[in-house]
Amino acid sequence: MTLERSLFGRLAVVMSVLLTAGAAVLITASWYSARTAADDAYDRVLVGAALQIADGLAVQEGALIVDLRASAFEMLGLADRDRIFYRIVDPTGKTLTGHRDLETNIDLATVHREPVLSSGLYKGEAVRIAVVGRALSDPAASGWAHVILAQTVEARRGLTHELTLGAAITIVIMCFLALVVMILSIRQALRPVNQLGGALRRRDPQDLTPLSVSVPRELRPFVGSINHFMGRLNERVVLLQRFIADAAHQIRTPLTALTAQLDLLNSGELDETDRQHLSRVQQRADELARLTNQLLSHAMVIHRAESVQLEPVDLNEIARRAFRVAVPITVDPDIVVSFEEADAELTVLGDPVSLREAIVNVIDNALRHGTLSRLEVRVRDAGPFAHVEVEDDGPGIPSEEWPRVTQRFQTSKAGEGSAGLGFAIASEVAAAHGGALQFRAKGADAHGFTVILALPRIHREGK
Amino acid sequence: MRILLVEDTQDVGEAICRRFQAVGHTVDWQVNGRAAAEILAFTDYDLVILDVMLPELDGFEILKGLRRARVTTPVLMLTARSEVDDRVGALDLGADDYLVKPFDFRELEARARVLLRRRSGDATNLVTCGDIVLDRTSRSVKVGKREVQLKRREMTLLEIFASRPGRVFSKQELLDQLYGFDEAVSANAIELYVGRLRKKLEGAKARIVTLHGIGYQLVSDDA
Repeated sequence: MTLERSLFGRLAVVMSVLLTAGAAVLITASWYSARTAADDAYDRVLVGAALQIADGLAVQEGALIVDLRASAFEMLGLADRDRIFYRIVDPTGKTLTGHRDLETNIDLATVHREPVLSSGLYKGEAVRIAVVGRALSDPAASGWAHVILAQTVEARRGLTHELTLGAAITIVIMCFLALVVMILSIRQALRPVNQLGGALRRRDPQDLTPLSVSVPRELRPFVGSINHFMGRLNERVVLLQRFIADAAHQIRTPLTALTAQLDLLNSGELDETDRQHLSRVQQRADELARLTNQLLSHAMVIHRAESVQLEPVDLNEIARRAFRVAVPITVDPDIVVSFEEADAELTVLGDPVSLREAIVNVIDNALRHGTLSRLEVRVRDAGPFAHVEVEDDGPGIPSEEWPRVTQRFQTSKAGEGSAGLGFAIASEVAAAHGGALQFRAKGADAHGFTVILALPRIHREGK
Repeated sequence: MRILLVEDTQDVGEAICRRFQAVGHTVDWQVNGRAAAEILAFTDYDLVILDVMLPELDGFEILKGLRRARVTTPVLMLTARSEVDDRVGALDLGADDYLVKPFDFRELEARARVLLRRRSGDATNLVTCGDIVLDRTSRSVKVGKREVQLKRREMTLLEIFASRPGRVFSKQELLDQLYGFDEAVSANAIELYVGRLRKKLEGAKARIVTLHGIGYQLVSDDA
C-alpha cells in the first residue's frame, strides 16, 4: 500500500500539521509565561535592593550622603552572572554617585514612593532598570532623591529558558503520544476498507452476486454502489450471453443450408483441383458448424449452471449416451473406439444435459486433435470421485499447457487447429458440479494421454 | 426402404432427399407438421426423419402422437441446440437417435442406415465366443466389459466367424457373404477387414487365426 494519496497518508499529514502548529503555539505561550514569571521574581529582588539603597540616603550637615550597604548588593548577587549598575540622583537632578551615563526613559519627576520598572539598554546590553524615590525633608536638601538600579538580564533569560524547556519537553512528548494513538486509531478505522478491498480482490471474476461483507455504516453507501454496479454488469453479461446464443442459433440455419448445398455438389463431375477446393470448403464449413455448436453449448452450460437444479444421476448412463453422440458412425474405420462403464452404478449430483455436453466435447476434442488409432472412454470409481476418462494414443498436451487449454479459444501447440471451446465447456461444467477437469500425461501408468472429468460422488438414499 | 422426411428448410430437405434417393430409398418429403402427422396416421414407413421446428405442429408433437399410437417406426430427429432440452426431450419421448444441426450428411446417412438395419434385423440373440459378446439387436460388441465400436462390415464379418467358432472360412466364402455375388471386390478387402477386426478385438479371449492358403477361423482361448 503506498501512503501517497492514501486516506491514511492524508489523515496523518493533516494531523501532524495540526499537532505541530498546536505544539508551537503552546511552547510560545509557555515561553511567554515563563518570561513573565522570571521577570516577576527578579524584579522583586531588584526593587528590594533599590529600596535598601534608597534607605541608606541621608542628609548630613546639609549634604546628601549615601551609605551603600553591602546587603543590598548581596541580594542581587544571587544572580551571580549578572552585573549591576546604579546611579543616585539628588533632588536637584545632579548625579551623586554611580554610573553617570546610566540613563533611563523614565521621567524621574514622576517617580515617588512607588518603584517604577522598565527595560532598556546600557552599554549595548539589555538591562532591567528599577527606579525608586526617597523623600528628603532636610531644609538643606528637600525634595525627591532617586536611586536608579540596573541589572543585566542573563539570569532571567536563563530561568525563562529553563522553564520553557521543561514545558516544551512535556508538550513534545504529549504530541508524540497523540500521534501514535492517532496512527493506531486511523489504522483501526480504515481496517474495514482494507477488508472490503480484500473481499473484492479475492472474488472470482465470474461472480457477480452482491457483496456480503459486513462494513461500518459509513461504508455502506459505497458497498451499495458496488453491488448496484455489479447487478448492472451481471445484466449486461446475461444479455451478452443470450445475444451470443441467439446469434449462433441464427447462423445455424443458413449454415445447415450451406452444408446441404455443398452435399448436393457432385464431386464426380469435378476435376482434381475443383475437388480439392470443394473438400476444403467442406472442411471449413465443418469447422464453422462445430464452432457454432460450441458457442451455443457454452452459452447453454453457463445458463444451466445458474438455473438448473442438480439431481442425482447415473454417470454410466450419461457417459454412454454422450459416447454414442460424440463418436460419429463415419469415424475412420482404422481407429479402435471403445467404451467401458463402471461395474457399479455411479451416482453424482448433476445436470444430465450439461454433463453430457461436457463429455461429448472432451471426446470430440480427442477425436479431432489427439487420437491416432485408439480412443478409450471409461467411467471409473475413484473413491470419493467418479471419473469419466477419455484416453487416446496421440501425442497429448504438454503439462505446462494444461492450465491454458481450459481457457476459451486457447490452442495447444501440439494439436492442430483451434481447440475452440471444448475444454472450456468441460471445465465450466466440472466447476459447476464441484469437480474438476484433469489431465494425465502420456506414459503415466502405461496409459496414453488422458483427459479426466472428475465429479464428486454421492450415495443415493434408499439404495 | 421407405422414408418420411419432415423438414421445412428447402435446401436441407432437398439435399437429404437426393442423398437417400441416390442409395435407392424412396423418400416422401413434407414441409408441414400437421400434414406429416396425417400421412403418418395411415402410412407405414421404415424410417421417419423429423425436424423439431416445423410449421403448425412441431416435431415433438408428431413423435408423441406416433408413440401414443404404438407405432414403432424408428425416428431420427434433427434438433436445434438452443432449445436446450431438445435432446433429452426427444430421447425421452421415444426418438431413436438425433442429430444436431448443422450436421454432416454422411453421418446422417450412416445413422439412418443403422436404424433401418435394426428394424429389418431378425436375429435377436446374443452370440458369444470367449469373452466377446455380440448383440445382434443393438449391433454392439463387447470385449469383456469394454464396448467396442465396430463398422457395419466388421460387424458382419465377426458375426460370420462367431456364429461358428473354430470353423475355417476361405477368403472367397467371406467375400460372398460380405458383399453378395454381384459385387466385384478384391480379396485384399478381406485382409483389410480381418486386420481391423483383430486390432479392435485386441485383449479378448478369442483370436482370429490365419491359416495360410486356406482361410481364417475364430478360436476361443477357453476351448
